[in-house]
Amino acid sequence: MAVRTIEVREKVMARNDELAAEVRAKLAAAKVPSLNLVSSPGSGKTRLLERTLAELGHELRFAVVTGDVQTQNDADRLAQHTQRLVQAVVTNGACHLDARQVMEALDAVDLADTDMLFVENVGNLVCPASWDLGEVAKVVVLSVTEGEDKPLKYPKMFRMAEAAVINKVDLLPYVPFDVEKAIGFAREVNPALRFFRTSAHTGAGMDEWYGYLREKIAAARAS
Amino acid sequence: MHEMSVAMEICRMAEERLTPAQVAQLVEVGVEVGDDSGLEPENLRFCLEALLMHPPFVGAKPVIRRTAGDALRLDYLEIDDGRPDD
Repeated sequence: MAVRTIEVREKVMARNDELAAEVRAKLAAAKVPSLNLVSSPGSGKTRLLERTLAELGHELRFAVVTGDVQTQNDADRLAQHTQRLVQAVVTNGACHLDARQVMEALDAVDLADTDMLFVENVGNLVCPASWDLGEVAKVVVLSVTEGEDKPLKYPKMFRMAEAAVINKVDLLPYVPFDVEKAIGFAREVNPALRFFRTSAHTGAGMDEWYGYLREKIAAARAS
Repeated sequence: MHEMSVAMEICRMAEERLTPAQVAQLVEVGVEVGDDSGLEPENLRFCLEALLMHPPFVGAKPVIRRTAGDALRLDYLEIDDGRPDD
């Protein structure tokens, strides 16, 4: 036999994780926290950010990186609510953002003039859970037009997240979504998960969400 | 889509670790896939088979070992260099 085995034993995500660590260090040095917003398509991530930029943009300096498989529609929408930089990353088929794309996007961001970075990931509850983007926290957005059992169907995403935004609560009278049941399922996979109940359409619950953002910024500044 | 991007990364890692001559001698690629890794092992195997049958590879076989947890590792590369065993 002439077969030889070369042991590798290396994480497939090793290179991404190295770049994510560089992103995290760069942001930490500038005291800029980054939130990685993840969800299935149509949960209202972009609307949540639109309202956040419109209502909080006078107080806090946000930079945004949006990821989409095709088009920069989300970035165009967000740009209407802020004079600050909104960068679109078109993944051309890839189902998630990776740390290299965030690192490249940061080249155009003046971190000294930024309080927080939002990364709006590609709408997908599977793949983005596996890719570290150098964020301080993943925030999973779940809308009431989805099933309450999403946390059980996609446990890794809910396990990796620090907070969950239950969005579109203005539609609760019209849909059979049980908020407490959804929270219970989510706590089965991640007992520490924090919850925000919002309607980015009416503004309900947004103050609690803004409180969370201010808390993350304060923590980054104090670190 | 995710499995294909992971398969492409595994192939990149293999090329990075092997000389061009070794890439052409690659016969087996061992991958460890955790049950909670978010990957479907058979889908990943299919993607790897598709990539490994095209140059610079010459038809190496992916061998996927399932484990508990969320591990996702390139475990080993097996090459047939035509030389006798040491």
